[in-house]
Amino acid sequence: MANLPLSGVRVLDFTWAWAGPFCTMQLAHLGAEVIRVETTARPACVTRVIPPFADDVPGPNRAGYFNQYNQGKKSISLNLTRPEAIDVACRLVKHCDVVADNFAAGVMDKLGLGYAKLRTIKHDIIMISMSGYGQTGPFKGFVGYGPPASAASGMFFTTGYEGGEPGEIGVSYPDPNAGIFGAFALMAALTHRALTGEGQYIDQSQFETALALMPEGMLEYELNHREPGRHGNHDPVMAPHECYKAAGDDEKWVSIAVGGEDEWRALCRAMGNPGLADDPRFKTAALRKRHEAALDEIVTAWTRTRDRWETTKALQAAGVAAFPSMSNKDLAEDPHLNARGYFTMLEHPEVGKRQHAGIPWKMSGTPCEVRSPAPLRGADTEAVLKSLLGMTLDQIEHLRKSGVLI
Amino acid sequence: MGSQSASPFGAIKIVECGEGISAAFGAKMIADLGAEVIKVEPPGGDLTRRRGPFPDDKADLDKSGIFIYLNANKRSVVADLKRPEGRELLHKLLAGADILIHNVAPGDRAAQGLDSAALRAAFPKLIIAAISPFGETGPYANWRGYELTLSNAAGWATLSPGASPYPELPPLKCFGSQCEFQGGIHAAMVALAAYMHRLKTGQGQSIDISEQEAVAAMLEMNFMHWTYAHRETSRLGSRLLGPWFISDTADGKIFALAVEEDQWKRLVELMGNPEWANDELFKDRIARGQNQDALKALMGEWLSRWKTQELYREAQNKRVPFAPINTMRDLYESDHLAERQFFATLEQSGIGAVKLPGMPSKYGATPWALRRPAPKLGEHAEEVFCGELGIARERLNDLRKAGVA
Repeated sequence: MANLPLSGVRVLDFTWAWAGPFCTMQLAHLGAEVIRVETTARPACVTRVIPPFADDVPGPNRAGYFNQYNQGKKSISLNLTRPEAIDVACRLVKHCDVVADNFAAGVMDKLGLGYAKLRTIKHDIIMISMSGYGQTGPFKGFVGYGPPASAASGMFFTTGYEGGEPGEIGVSYPDPNAGIFGAFALMAALTHRALTGEGQYIDQSQFETALALMPEGMLEYELNHREPGRHGNHDPVMAPHECYKAAGDDEKWVSIAVGGEDEWRALCRAMGNPGLADDPRFKTAALRKRHEAALDEIVTAWTRTRDRWETTKALQAAGVAAFPSMSNKDLAEDPHLNARGYFTMLEHPEVGKRQHAGIPWKMSGTPCEVRSPAPLRGADTEAVLKSLLGMTLDQIEHLRKSGVLI
Repeated sequence: MGSQSASPFGAIKIVECGEGISAAFGAKMIADLGAEVIKVEPPGGDLTRRRGPFPDDKADLDKSGIFIYLNANKRSVVADLKRPEGRELLHKLLAGADILIHNVAPGDRAAQGLDSAALRAAFPKLIIAAISPFGETGPYANWRGYELTLSNAAGWATLSPGASPYPELPPLKCFGSQCEFQGGIHAAMVALAAYMHRLKTGQGQSIDISEQEAVAAMLEMNFMHWTYAHRETSRLGSRLLGPWFISDTADGKIFALAVEEDQWKRLVELMGNPEWANDELFKDRIARGQNQDALKALMGEWLSRWKTQELYREAQNKRVPFAPINTMRDLYESDHLAERQFFATLEQSGIGAVKLPGMPSKYGATPWALRRPAPKLGEHAEEVFCGELGIARERLNDLRKAGVA
C-alpha cells in the first residue's frame, strides 16, 4: 500500500446518514482502510435512498449522496439485529484501530458494541460516537439531524436578511461539520496513541460541534448581553459587502467584499468612477458602513448589466475580493478547480464515471488521492471476512443464508 | 478539564502566523489539547484584535471576544515578516517547531519567508499547513477571498436560505466565518496526520489547504444533482419534504420538522389528530413538502399556543425532531449544556471571567483545557526571543526600536 499518513490504520465504520460517513471519508482520504458495516435488514442508509440517482434511475448503488461521501471505503453486510453478527463485529474489532458510529446515544451499548466491551477485545481501541446531543445530559435521547442542529445552535437565529426573520442556511451544515470535527478528534486520538500507546473513547455532540463555530454571536451576548442580530450579507465593519445582481436570470449574482482603503479605491477605479473614493459619504470605512444602502445601490447599478465573471475578473485583477455565486454546474465546470485536480472521476460498476468532489488538501510528502469509488452495498463482505477472520466460503455462505450477512 | 502536565500533546510545538480566523482556529484546536503555540503577529496585531465584539463596544486590542476565543492557550510575539530581521526571527522559531500553521496569501508567501518549497528545504522535519482561499496552485491562486466571497465561490451561499419564494433577494451567507473555520479545522486535522507520518518516518512536508475546496465538499447531495441528473441548484423552489419550516410560538420560534413517516404520525397524535391531517395534500412527506404553505398555515395555530422550550421537549419525547430557534441567551442558559459542562470559563486579564464555547468533542484520555488567557500583543517577546531563542536583550530592544519586533 502507498505510504500515506494513515497507511496501516483500519476503521470499522458503523456510521450512516451524512455526518458519520463524512468523518470516516477523511480517514480514507488520508490512507486508512475503512470498512463500512451495512445491512438490508433495517431501513437503508438514507443516503442510498434519496435523489439524485444516476440518470434518475433509483437504486441503492446509484445514489449520488452515498457515492460522494463513501469514496475510498469498503462495504460489508452485517445484520446487527442478530447475535451472530455482533460476534462477527467483535472479531473484526480485534483487527481494527478505530470504531466509529453516529447512532443515537446508547445504541452501541445496547447492541453489545459499547466501548467498555470493545476495549476488552482490543485494549488500545479508539472509538468515537457522534450523536445529536451527546451521550449524557437531559437531551441525550433527542433526535438530531443537521437542520434542527442549525436551529438549536443559533445559526438560524443569526442568519437572515437585514431586519428580517430568522433564515435557514441552505445546507445541513452541522452534519459535515460534526464529521470534520470527528475526523480531527480521531486524528488527535491516533496521535495520542502513537505517543503513549493508549486508546480512548470520544463522545461527540453534533450540537456542541456547531456551537464551536458560533463564537462571534455567543461572545456578543457574553460580553454585552445583546443578541447579534441579522444583517444578511453585510459585515459589522466592511462595506461594500454583499451579493450584487449580475446580468442574466435570477441565479446570476456576484459577491463583492471590500476590506481596506486600497481595496476601496481599486473598486472605484474598476467601476470607472475613481472620484467616488473621495465622495464625502464614502471617504472612510466608518462612513461607507453608515451609508451602506446608498453604496449598495451604486455598486448594483454597475454590476447588474455586466456578466458576473467579467465583474469578478476585473475586480480580482485590481485586488478586490469578488466571486460569482456558484451553482453545482458552475463548480463542476470551473477551470480553477479542474486545473487543481480537485474532482474525482473513478469508474463505478453501476454508475460509470461521475464527477465527485475530491480531497481539499494537497500534501507534498504523502500525496493523497481517492483510491476507489464508493462501494456497492456489501461488495467486500467475503473478502474482508476471509482475509481478516480466516473464514471459509462455506462459513460465509452459511451466515449469509441464515440472515446474518444481509 | 484535564491537567496540563498529563497531555502528550505538550511535546508538540506549533508556530502560527497570518491573520484572521482560519490559521488561528486550526492552531487553537491543537493548543487546547496541550500543544505549545507561539503566535507570530504583525506589528499592528492580528486583525481579529480589532473586530470585536468588545466589552461595552469599546475597541481594545486586548479585549476582542473573537480574539480571546481563538487565542487562549497561546503566547504572542510580534515580528514584521515584511522585513529581513522579522523573517530571521520567524526562521529561528521554526527551527524549534514541529508544525507551522498559517494563512498568508500564496502571492505574499515568498516575500514573508513562507514559501512552502523553501521552508521544506530549510526545515525538512517541519510540517507546514498553509491555508488559503483557493489553494496555492491554479488560475485563482492569487485571487482574494473573504468569508462572503468564499461562501459564494464554494457554492454554499447559492443554496441559501433554500426554498426561498423571493427571487429578488440574493444568495444568503450563513452567520459568522464558517469558511474560515473550515479552513482551520481541515488544516489542524491534516497537520496531525502529517505529524503521525513524521513520527514513523522522520519526514516533514507541506500541506496546501483550499477553503473553497473544503466547503465545496460539504454541500450535501447538491453537487451530485448536476453530475448525476443534470439539475442545477438554486436557493429558490420548494422543500424536498415537509413539514420543514420555522414558525412562531407563544414566546419565540420553533423549527418544525418530520423526516420519516412514523415521525409525522406521532406529530399528528401530538397535535390531537386534527381532521385536516388526513387530507390528500399531506399524504406523504413529498406532498407535505410541496404543499408546505398550506401545512404551515394549518400547523401554525397549534404551534403558536406552545412555549418554545416546552414544545421542543414534548415533541422530542415523542421522537419528533423539532428544535428551538435558540438565541445566544438560550444557549448560555441551556440545562443540557450546563450538565455536560460544555462552557469553559477563562480568567481574561482586563475583563474577568469569560464563558467560552468549550471542548467540542469529549475525549476520554486526551486532556482538553484552557490553561492560559489570550495573550496581549507581543506579551511573550522576551520570554520567547531572549529566554528560549537566546537573542540578547539589547538586540531585542534594537529590533523593537526599528519596529520589527
